[in-house]
Amino acid sequence: MSKYIFAVYNDEDVLMQNIKPLRSQGVRIKEVFSPFPIHGMDHLIGHKRTRIAICSFIYGAIGCLLAIWMTQYMMIADWPMDIGGKPSFAYYKNVPAFVPIIFESAVFCAAHGMVLTFYLRSKTLPGVTAFVPDKRMTDDRFIMQVECNDASKKADLTNLLLKHGAEEVKEYGK
Amino acid sequence: MYEAPIREPLILGDKTNHDITEDICRPIEGKANKYWWWCFIVAVAALLWWVLCVAITVGEGIGVWGINNIVDWGWDITNFVWWVGIGHAGTLISAVLLLFRQKWRLSINRSAEAMTIFAVICAATFLLTHIGRPWLPYWLLPLPNQFGSLWVNFNSPLIWDTFAVTTYFTVSLVFWYTGLIPDFAVIRDRAKTSATKFWYGLLAFGWTGSSKNWQRFEEVSLVLAGISTPLVLSVHTIVSMDFATSVLPGWHATIFPPYFVAGAIFSGFAMVQTLLIITRKVLGLENYITTLHIDMMNRIILVTGSIVGIAYITEFFIAWYSGVEYESYCFINRATGYYWWAYASMMTCNVVSPQLFWFKKLRTNITFTFVLSIVVNIGMWFERFVIIVSSLHRAFVPSEWGTYHPSWVEVGIYVGSLGLFFTLFLLFARFFPVIAMSELKTIVKSSSTQAKREALKHGHSHVSHH
Amino acid sequence: MKNYTITKNNKILSFGLIAFGVVGIAYGFATDPTRTWASLLQSNFFLLAIALCGLFFYTFQFAAEAGWAAGILRVPLAMAQFLPHACVALLLIFIFGHHDLYHWTHAELYDKNSPHFDEILYGKKAFLNIPFFVIRLILYGIIWAGSAVLLRKYALEEDRVGGTENYWKTSKLSHVFLVLFAITSSTGAWDILMSVDAHWFSTLFGWYIFSGLFVTGLTVMGILTIYLKRNGYFPKVNENHIHDIGKYMFAFSIFWTYLWFSQFMLIWYANLPEEVAYYALRQEPELRPIFILNFVINFTIPFLVLMSRDSKRKENTVLVAGALMIIGHWLDVWLIVMPGIMGTHAHIGIIEIGATCFFAGLFLYVFFNSMSKTAVVPENHPMIEESYHFYL
Repeated sequence: MSKYIFAVYNDEDVLMQNIKPLRSQGVRIKEVFSPFPIHGMDHLIGHKRTRIAICSFIYGAIGCLLAIWMTQYMMIADWPMDIGGKPSFAYYKNVPAFVPIIFESAVFCAAHGMVLTFYLRSKTLPGVTAFVPDKRMTDDRFIMQVECNDASKKADLTNLLLKHGAEEVKEYGK
Repeated sequence: MYEAPIREPLILGDKTNHDITEDICRPIEGKANKYWWWCFIVAVAALLWWVLCVAITVGEGIGVWGINNIVDWGWDITNFVWWVGIGHAGTLISAVLLLFRQKWRLSINRSAEAMTIFAVICAATFLLTHIGRPWLPYWLLPLPNQFGSLWVNFNSPLIWDTFAVTTYFTVSLVFWYTGLIPDFAVIRDRAKTSATKFWYGLLAFGWTGSSKNWQRFEEVSLVLAGISTPLVLSVHTIVSMDFATSVLPGWHATIFPPYFVAGAIFSGFAMVQTLLIITRKVLGLENYITTLHIDMMNRIILVTGSIVGIAYITEFFIAWYSGVEYESYCFINRATGYYWWAYASMMTCNVVSPQLFWFKKLRTNITFTFVLSIVVNIGMWFERFVIIVSSLHRAFVPSEWGTYHPSWVEVGIYVGSLGLFFTLFLLFARFFPVIAMSELKTIVKSSSTQAKREALKHGHSHVSHH
Repeated sequence: MKNYTITKNNKILSFGLIAFGVVGIAYGFATDPTRTWASLLQSNFFLLAIALCGLFFYTFQFAAEAGWAAGILRVPLAMAQFLPHACVALLLIFIFGHHDLYHWTHAELYDKNSPHFDEILYGKKAFLNIPFFVIRLILYGIIWAGSAVLLRKYALEEDRVGGTENYWKTSKLSHVFLVLFAITSSTGAWDILMSVDAHWFSTLFGWYIFSGLFVTGLTVMGILTIYLKRNGYFPKVNENHIHDIGKYMFAFSIFWTYLWFSQFMLIWYANLPEEVAYYALRQEPELRPIFILNFVINFTIPFLVLMSRDSKRKENTVLVAGALMIIGHWLDVWLIVMPGIMGTHAHIGIIEIGATCFFAGLFLYVFFNSMSKTAVVPENHPMIEESYHFYL
């Protein structure tokens, strides 16, 4: 398990400007916590692009196929009905009436599948204890999580971070 | 992101990130004031009245309503369409305006989405009561009928409705809740009592705000917005198809789907205005929900009201142009027949009154906006009443002619549903952050008063540099 | 401020298309005048609507106070300059070809003693009669072409003097135009296209036509923007702007599909003889392949190709999808006009392609010519900086 210290910033732009210089001096930045999404931050600290939209597309496609199968099986195969002069003996002749259901089913699966994936992957679930290095991180502070395995270098690292715009440097929960 | 200096600020009063946290959390952490209690008592009283009227309906059967063999849809479906329509504005604000990158949505999207959810709940109650036997709702699901071998009829637009309303309600709920998670975390992290910490901690799902989570959060919001947009269109489209797939003059019109959607947005924005004008006053949020926000919403009311007006006139014209006598009669009867007063109210409230919003003075006048927002919703209620009742009461042959008057139970359910809606909204305003703090903080550096002042200073030095 | 210089290739392309078109049209009049009139109407409307959508895009950017597109606004403005030509051409086509094009213009239909007496058309006489129709066409010309010319004047003035005065003037006129457009886009569609099938009616028709042609207009705008960018006229237009145009193309293709489905499904479902006749004809074996192709191209291509973020940011994908979408929406207009006039004898051949080439050549020439007379980038636009600093 790596050990970490936390640099507190009070301006997101200052934090972002200092990521590169800190990196070039060998500082290993694990994560940045912020009260709101910051454009380009994921790219800057090297997160891969999220593939959650692709998941959503796949869930949607499954929902679409599920509804096609459902309408075909229930209305055409299992119990064909002649409603309003439109006998259900061939799928293609009745499909306009099934489009709304196919659409809703696709949307239902795409949305709920994606959100569930998001909750599970991000470990945001009821009952999870939050990782809160500093209580102000959801208010107006930006927290940089920095690796510090060697306790002897902690003072140097702290000074370096303070020199690079950090307001204070602290350990978890202190 | 860079913003042209010509644009006005969206956050007034030099608010910092911390000020936003304070201002939005204050009403939740403090005690409710007496306005809130008075509103709440009235709303709960109406809600109890609703419970009574629904109990009578369920106990006695829908014979206690005024509907009859000729006019078999009355206030029930009118109210259902009215409430679903109102719900549309919330999704429009959070999804469509997100896709169009309208920053002014940020102060209003949270409460508009809450309004969506509560309005859809109200709408669903009318669906459940009007089926007559609300203890058998699973007959609407794709299950074998009475667990025999007959399935639901997928050709029926009423079954499409089941799918559409279910999808719409659950997706809106999830969209709204996902947006709330970071804000619950804000309250959790500044909680003073352990009860607050526990409950909001539970609601916050362990949110931390790491950049990886934000990255996914933003992608999820964008994709949800992308799929909510066709979803919200599809819901009122399918509602309109409950009517338009029939052959009844006044119901069967191809323009119904987009025209219903426009009407829904129109009435929904009016309801957002009604709610927010009160909320900003009671909770002291004038710096966040500014006259600019009200102006913007009024512009949308103007545009959608005009679209609805064009649709009315198109229907009227094509009814004549079609050369079909039933069509022509239906529309002449609407305007001059037994229910002419409903038609006249609809035309005045929906087509004429929003045109006043061409004047900037009126668009930015809070009292006027408040009054007009209620007028619009009265008009939109009459629109549904006109479409449903006036088309039904004179069908093809004289044996299908009749009249309809609501019973006190129907009126009671409607009034009571307003109680249900306001009870839910008041609870929301009491316990949930009414403005999306984490989203609003993203524009402090571009659209607040201090940012504008900075940009102006920069702009001047830029000019003098040349 | 840089103006566009018309290249030799531009001229060869425009005049080549016009020359080919003239040959096709001449061949058409020699062999089948009705078909030729029909394809002239179809092609003229197709290009007119592209120009009109250019104007619509231009004006609603002002009404919505949008900033991202400020840098490319001169493209839709130049597209709109084709409107005076297109409106005059439309009037001429009606005056000389109305008996071939519009069944309702025949006098004997309104004569109660004639065996051809048509009760339904008789009932519509107050609206569908030649003088009133001509008046309406002239009115559309004045509103559409007049706005295009006037807005261009303001743009030239803005280039010359700077300041925000012309921005607000443009904004004001834009609002006026949009109100008139909301009405005339529907009535225009009823007049020019729906009255081809004079018995048939659909309340959605005006909005359906608008949605399809808005997609086409956006696509043409995207393609022309990419062309100008590749020739070095738009140094500050980047993949973000292309991405946004791609989003519009995608979104409004879905919107078109939605309206197509709404109109089709409701008529199919209710199955009323007076309405369903329109689709029954277009489902005849001769026309069914095009009926299906129309829906498939216009829905599937944008849906599958333009869905992902990356594809909207690549110029080549936008170009390929755009070209197919233009063909798709050309087929859409074809399906409305040609079977209405020619029945199941409607074809796609040298006459139809020639007529379209003729108007397309004219459109391109007017476009390039107009681009060469105003600055390519409106540098005095108050939101130009915002357009430069735009990223997604």
